[in-house]
Amino acid sequence: MHESSIVESLINLVRESVPDASQVRRVEVRVGLLTGVSPDAMRFYFEIMRDEMLSPKAELAVALEPLRVHCESCGADQSLAETAWLCPACGAGALAFLNGDELHLSSVEVEDGEGLHD
Amino acid sequence: MAKVYTIEQRILKRNSEAAEENRRLFDTHGVFTISLASSPGSGKTSLLEKSLILLREEVSVGVIEGDVQTDRDARRIESLGVPVVQVVTNGTCHLDAQMVQGALGHLEIGKVELLFIENVGNLVCPASYDLGEHLRIVLASTTEGEDKPLKYPAMFRRSQALVLNKIDLLPYLTYDLKEAESLALKVNPALEIFETSCSTGAGIPEFCRWVIARMNETTAA
Repeated sequence: MHESSIVESLINLVRESVPDASQVRRVEVRVGLLTGVSPDAMRFYFEIMRDEMLSPKAELAVALEPLRVHCESCGADQSLAETAWLCPACGAGALAFLNGDELHLSSVEVEDGEGLHD
Repeated sequence: MAKVYTIEQRILKRNSEAAEENRRLFDTHGVFTISLASSPGSGKTSLLEKSLILLREEVSVGVIEGDVQTDRDARRIESLGVPVVQVVTNGTCHLDAQMVQGALGHLEIGKVELLFIENVGNLVCPASYDLGEHLRIVLASTTEGEDKPLKYPAMFRRSQALVLNKIDLLPYLTYDLKEAESLALKVNPALEIFETSCSTGAGIPEFCRWVIARMNETTAA
């Protein structure tokens, strides 16, 4: 349930990052597999909070970052879609995680309120 | 027409900044800080009660207690005569670095050499929030499942030590201590593991010696 606090921090960061009165359409975040943060729970809280804090039209896109691992036993470098503790190649418990702690705001798409030509 | 801003910033940037401020404050005042996390009821406050009695013979200690409601834990620590500040989160399932910052204002930080921060009982949420501590310790107890480390890997992976508490109950349980330890090491091979009982006091002196050793290592560095 800490996703509620995380989404609150996210929305505050979005608001700081774009000009005031921007109509936010889409928010993209990257989440690492080792964070334990649930994308579904993030979307759930985002939909509750966006109306008042952002815009009812804002969408949240959560990209799960593949987990890059290096096996110190067999030397394999792999990219995993799910967390593993044993090397998928050789079975040894010698995986070094090269990432996985990401919890980043990637980008924000806003409607261009200035109504410029194209 | 739409406009896309590329941001690439940490969502918990504010928390990380506050955690860095806390860490600088601890280092300036020579305070070694340890956070404790576990499920509710694993024995965090009991471990503190037993350990503080030994630790305060060697260093001056202080405690920040985090709970969703009540100051019961702070009162337990206060009754030992140890300086303590209670943070009541009013529903929030974890402490964050700003809450710790607020609590530090109520401690005479210059008089504390070893500070414990007891997080809200929860193995999920506290893992995401850096508090500025030097060490993270996770507790589990024999009345829980052995598979806690696999179910809550983020917390076990980010901790430097695991305290397996309530070992005095082992004769009455089917809990497999070795299995629990091997699962914990699978998630985090670097974990230092202690087997303790806060009822009998088993393992507490070893745990305290390790804490003091880590503390001396860090303050000497």
